[in-house]
Amino acid sequence: MEIELRMPDLATTGSPMRAIRWLVEVGQQVKRGQPILEIETDKAAMELEAIAPGRVKNFHVNPDDTVDVGQLVATLEAEEAAVGPAPAQPPPPVAAKGGMFARNRATAARGDEPAIRAASTLTPAQRAAVRRMQASKQSAPHFYLQTSASAERLIERRKASALLWDACFVHAAAKALARFERMGFRYANDQLQPCESDAIGVAVDHDGELFVIAVASPASKSPEDLSSEIRASVDRLRAGDPEARRLQPARMTISNLGSTGVESFTAILNPPEAAILAIGRVAPVGVVSAGQVVPQSRVALTLSVDHRVVNGKYAADFLQAIVQEIETL
Amino acid sequence: MNSPPTQTNSRDAAEFSRDFLLGLYEKMVLIRTFEERVKFLFLEGTMPGTIHQCQGQEATAVGVCAALQPGDFITSTFRGHGHALAKGLSVQELLDELFGATTGCCKGKGGSMHVGNMSKGMVPGIAIVAGGIPLAAGMALAFRLRQTGQVAACFFGDGAVAEGAFHEGVNMAAIWDLPVIFVCENNLYGASTHIQKVMKNPRVADRAAAYGFRGETVDGNDVLAVYEAAVRAAGECRAGKGPVLLELLTYRRTGHSRRDPCHYQDKHERENWFARDPIERLAERLLARGDFQPAELAAVQERSNLQIETAVERAKQAPQPTREDLLADVLA
Repeated sequence: MEIELRMPDLATTGSPMRAIRWLVEVGQQVKRGQPILEIETDKAAMELEAIAPGRVKNFHVNPDDTVDVGQLVATLEAEEAAVGPAPAQPPPPVAAKGGMFARNRATAARGDEPAIRAASTLTPAQRAAVRRMQASKQSAPHFYLQTSASAERLIERRKASALLWDACFVHAAAKALARFERMGFRYANDQLQPCESDAIGVAVDHDGELFVIAVASPASKSPEDLSSEIRASVDRLRAGDPEARRLQPARMTISNLGSTGVESFTAILNPPEAAILAIGRVAPVGVVSAGQVVPQSRVALTLSVDHRVVNGKYAADFLQAIVQEIETL
Repeated sequence: MNSPPTQTNSRDAAEFSRDFLLGLYEKMVLIRTFEERVKFLFLEGTMPGTIHQCQGQEATAVGVCAALQPGDFITSTFRGHGHALAKGLSVQELLDELFGATTGCCKGKGGSMHVGNMSKGMVPGIAIVAGGIPLAAGMALAFRLRQTGQVAACFFGDGAVAEGAFHEGVNMAAIWDLPVIFVCENNLYGASTHIQKVMKNPRVADRAAAYGFRGETVDGNDVLAVYEAAVRAAGECRAGKGPVLLELLTYRRTGHSRRDPCHYQDKHERENWFARDPIERLAERLLARGDFQPAELAAVQERSNLQIETAVERAKQAPQPTREDLLADVLA
């Protein structure tokens, strides 16, 4: 007779538990009440005991797996004579939980996704990004300014022509940079040095690798032209064009995670630049206009700034200029 | 304080009747077997909710309740299965309650932490720590005013002693000489915290003197010592010389609840106390009398197994409450 060992309700808040390690081996004879699996609940590490004597037939969870209440963890083969006080009927079936964890386990069991548990070596592009981000975060004294802008004008413009959101923000930043030139400088050796380029960078995630596309002379281009240029650069990047993957100098970078639904975030400066603008999602919110609450689509903007290059007031005025450009595009 | 008492101050087992001793043994074995079976019902996922169990503390409940009259009352805690069986509740009405069935002792509305039966002298368990103490004082006041001669025995743990309700209830019982036995089951741990961390004076019985009545520390793993102390206390209460505080030194063999792995109990301390298991100690004393055979004691265990297995199968089929039962017996 086969006995199913299911996860008891050992957590205090119904939260998932985690398997730590098996205390017995497949094929081993266990006694009723013998600890067989170490688990971690929201409060403590505990031992799960066998509910009946028998020989361990199968494990159904692995160390580090998340285990829900009622989930099958192991099967035992009971010796007929040894069944004794085991329940006459199997425990009532617990409603199957089709949560994210269950799906992940099913996927992992099929093996149709690369296992990420094993150590893997970073690609050269990933290693470059790691070094640059680490150096930036450790050496550049960041400060962060948060605001939001009405996106109504952008939405209107996008109805008329197929503008990329990124193109709109690059355009707005370029216009603002023209009035706040110092934002485009960088700090080195107790000097503020101008950037040799007039480009603005756009951060792009491609297959887990982080690249920055440099858009040259954006202040002199229309949002439509910027859109086509950015699209073409992304296509070249995806096609594996080594030139497109090369890091180009820029005065600042735009990082847009709006399409992921994130409300707002703070970005790490792309060295040696002194500013990076983080764009959240565009979403309708209630704003007070002439004493009335009215819906308006807005976008959250967070500017990360290198304090060695500019002070808060200057950066705040720059961010306000970007808001103005976005709202009057 | 970490070690169990090393000598027993009860009379020799030879001085008690054979039937009386066998009755105590049966009850303690029944409680242990019940608790072990319930533990596996929980692990199987057959029974809902968490449980607080009393394996290792059987002598406190059985010894105190054996000294009470059928008309006397007890109050209990969230760890009440042993108290209930000792006071005469049936295995079936308890198991049905744990399964949430309408045939349970509280019609399935109490569950593990609130077992009780007023017709058998047990107020449904009060799960709030020290919550039963003022209530027992109030019951004892009613007994005294009505001159019924009844006694209330109030079970609580060492964790209850630092609660404000302990002071209020004990003080009120003291000033009115109420017939209540305050029974502190001192198992050394309030949940996971050792009493040495929360008591400057770890001798709970000493507190009685501060209120002007008698306190006594008893080996709580010796059912005969507990019985004799409870007989003395009940006698004093009925004679208008209550209350009495009994501190019963005992030890819990499992976690505070089924969700507690009990890693905080020192290994040496556990071994010391496990070597003084209340059931094994009584068995040794019974066999030493010469008129009990090992087979007779083994038969006690067999009877308990059978009784509980039968009750488990019935409890699984017991009727569950319906929508119509929702508001019945609900006062507020």
